[in-house]
Amino acid sequence: MSESRGLHTKEFTLNVGPHHPSTHGVCRFVLKMEGEVITHVTPVIGYLHRALEKICENRTYEQIIPVTDRFEYCTAMSCNMAFSLATEKLAGIEVPERAEYLRVIMLELNRISSHLIWLGTTSLDLGALTPFLYAFREREYILDLFEMTCGQRLTFNYIRPAGVSRDIPPEFIPKCREFIDMFNDKIDDYERVLTENPIFIARNKNIGILPPDVAIAYAVSGPALRASGVKFDLRRDDPYSIYDRFDFDIPTRENGDCYDRYLIRIQEMRESTKIVRQAIEQIPEGEIRGKFNKMNFKPPAGEVYCRVENSRGELGIYLQAADKEKKPLRVKMRGGSFNQLQVMPVICVGHKIADLVAIMASMDIIMPDVDR
Amino acid sequence: MELTGIFKYLYELLAATGLPEVWVDIIALIAAGVIVFGFLALVALFLVWLERKFAGHAQQRPGPMRTGWHGWRQTIADAIKLLQKEDIRPTLVDRFVYFWAPVVVFVAAFMAYVVIPFGEGLIVSDLNVGILYVVAITSFTVIGMLMAGWGSNNKYSLLGGMRSAAQVVSYEIPMVIAICSVILFVGSLSMVDIVQSQAKIYQWYVFRLPFGPIAFIIYLIAGTAETNRTPFDLPEAEQELVAGFNTEYSGMKFAMFFLAEFVNMFTVSAIGATLFLGGWQGPLLPSWMWFLGKTMFLVLVLMLFRWTFPRLRVDQLMEFAWKTLIPFAFVNLILAAVMKYSGWFNW
Amino acid sequence: MKTLIDGIKNLCIGMVTVGKHLFRRNVTVQYPTERWEMPERSRGIVVLLSDQETGELNCTVCMLCMRACPASAITIEYEQGEKGKRTLKDFIVDNTICCFCGLCEETCNFAAIKMATMYEFATEDKESLIWHMDKLQEMGRDVPYEKPVRKKPAAAKPAPKPEVKADGEKPAEPQPAEAASTGNTAADPAIANEPEQKPDNRKPDQPAEDQT
Repeated sequence: MSESRGLHTKEFTLNVGPHHPSTHGVCRFVLKMEGEVITHVTPVIGYLHRALEKICENRTYEQIIPVTDRFEYCTAMSCNMAFSLATEKLAGIEVPERAEYLRVIMLELNRISSHLIWLGTTSLDLGALTPFLYAFREREYILDLFEMTCGQRLTFNYIRPAGVSRDIPPEFIPKCREFIDMFNDKIDDYERVLTENPIFIARNKNIGILPPDVAIAYAVSGPALRASGVKFDLRRDDPYSIYDRFDFDIPTRENGDCYDRYLIRIQEMRESTKIVRQAIEQIPEGEIRGKFNKMNFKPPAGEVYCRVENSRGELGIYLQAADKEKKPLRVKMRGGSFNQLQVMPVICVGHKIADLVAIMASMDIIMPDVDR
Repeated sequence: MELTGIFKYLYELLAATGLPEVWVDIIALIAAGVIVFGFLALVALFLVWLERKFAGHAQQRPGPMRTGWHGWRQTIADAIKLLQKEDIRPTLVDRFVYFWAPVVVFVAAFMAYVVIPFGEGLIVSDLNVGILYVVAITSFTVIGMLMAGWGSNNKYSLLGGMRSAAQVVSYEIPMVIAICSVILFVGSLSMVDIVQSQAKIYQWYVFRLPFGPIAFIIYLIAGTAETNRTPFDLPEAEQELVAGFNTEYSGMKFAMFFLAEFVNMFTVSAIGATLFLGGWQGPLLPSWMWFLGKTMFLVLVLMLFRWTFPRLRVDQLMEFAWKTLIPFAFVNLILAAVMKYSGWFNW
Repeated sequence: MKTLIDGIKNLCIGMVTVGKHLFRRNVTVQYPTERWEMPERSRGIVVLLSDQETGELNCTVCMLCMRACPASAITIEYEQGEKGKRTLKDFIVDNTICCFCGLCEETCNFAAIKMATMYEFATEDKESLIWHMDKLQEMGRDVPYEKPVRKKPAAAKPAPKPEVKADGEKPAEPQPAEAASTGNTAADPAIANEPEQKPDNRKPDQPAEDQT
């Protein structure tokens, strides 16, 4: 095979992780390397398995919401949302109008904060240290908004079946508007440091190309799928909540390389600010939580699958309920990171080890989402 | 306030004691060496602090604040902490190589200062092959890094050491060619001669269009790579190689690597200031202040590089050196030669 | 050549952007000496609230919080008095397993338990993270709260209980009296806007609709 080359190198195995600085948690890659070129990748997962699905089977519906916070901590709001949607669908619960708007505001702010974590860690993985702190600076602003509303910065426990847990405080809307007004300039700042930077482009362009057919075959979703040119976004294609009322774009790119995934997420942050802006303009007064028996909720028997679009793709909750039981019979969670990790062996082959870091970063995998 | 007078006075004082002239010279040289060493140790400590403050303020945070005014004692405290630490030596290291690697790096970093003119007459020894000596000595660091990488008996260290060797050797070439274009104009390798040829501000080599600025940029890029700083910090790319060649080092040995890194940064800036920014030349202020000011300016530029740019990949790094920098440097050298002998812009 | 010049230009743009930040105001604080002011609703440690006049605990031993807790961090020990009146013997919060979800606070109809804004409670041993009644009461002494406005007096209908639950398990069968709290419906948005407002339209006496 390699007789044309003068130098022969022995294939060797390199373990990256589970406590490697750039694996974003505890993921392990077993790499087969030929020199610095990767010939085979095996992701080893399960280091963060917490049996969340089983835990859910022993909790009442209200008690599961804090558990879903731990499912994918970067976008805990959408986990709350997916489970609430499933519960509502199961029992046919109506959600008040104001609650729907609050949900959308929170979901989109959460999407921005999750993308900011991704932006920070990506630039960190590529060696640029400063954009990391810029991204976290803005993320703090969003977390302040969350804490002001629901009391926590990461595990929100905010979106509940039939509504939300609390109404926003009066100072929320002005602060949120202030954030949105300022945020587009901040994105410009990140872009000035990264987007056109030739080093950044050299590290990302044509690295980890994910062809659309492979992406679909592996059920990759979210920004990684849209970067490959497949225009699929649940907010548009399977609208939940009130997303059909807002005017926003679904950005797509063609190449499906790391650089496109970067651009898609930057663009998505801008689109999210659009949605939040429209939502805080339109938000009506009213109740924030419909009729829901917190302690004794017993849905009729049945099974549902509800999905939302979070920052890593399709986040689905499958819920099976026995008749007149306070606890669900089965809860299955589906996160986008798992599929994006599974596609890594396909797209990493032939790249250098430093590219593995870049691809991993651009896929935006977080391990609790993979292991659950 | 020129420092030269003070040193001259001290030398005369020493000569007046009646010692043989050879001894006087030897003592004077040792004293000069000690002074330079002490000064550089202080500079290294200061630069560590400056780097942290710079990084902090670039990221809208204050940096070290707890120890003294704006944390000025932070590096001193760190140095003391590192001194007190247990000197860990992993079981399977090559003892001899492992022990001497930081020493080699440390000594090589400091030796370059023998020929650097800190001010008018403020030079330990004005060798007539000054710049050649500097280039030779700074590349000596590579041997230390390779020793550290090999001696540590660790995959990551070895990769870091190999990378740094490849990188420094590659970037030495454009750097030397860029320096050559300056030497071509001066006609001397002596650092003092180089500075004296840039007496007026328009004579600074960075302003000698068109070759000057290009040579300066090439020098700066290659210098960044020489000192293993971002965007060329491949040897210690923590996302890939944990900490590169100093993964296994701790305590004072690590501190030696660390200080050497900052001394190297100062070296590169000092040589840059000498070659391209007119060295100690400048109006009003004493010469050593001009020299330090110009050097600090370059140091700040290097810091700005580090805190702005992502890191290149190792093959891209080599590609950049061999396919972009070296051809440019050669073309630039020819340009300089043509300028020199045609007499254009030969002010 | 053009790409090279463009590259250098864009590198410079990045450097200028970072350089500008050198002169901006710091956004961080020096933590132990300076602190953020925590928002009113911030969910820190669990405390027990006392009546401001009498200094007695507001807790009526209705056990709702214990049952609402998803992590079973709350254990309530009580004594069954005459006429079914319960007196609180001990209220134990295990901070090592508390997940700070705030469900106990939301479930409580008597403003007896609250997640205060305090967040520093690190200790050296695990045992001292299990807080008992006196510690919880002391921590909650200065915590501001609003007294719940109830339309009906809270005549907690006591269900006879066979034994004291001391292991933090949720009771097997739901109790008719307290289980019937309806949704967290804040009818008036103005009231709902006020932080820490307890929903005032709960009817603790109404039996659960789907009680079997």
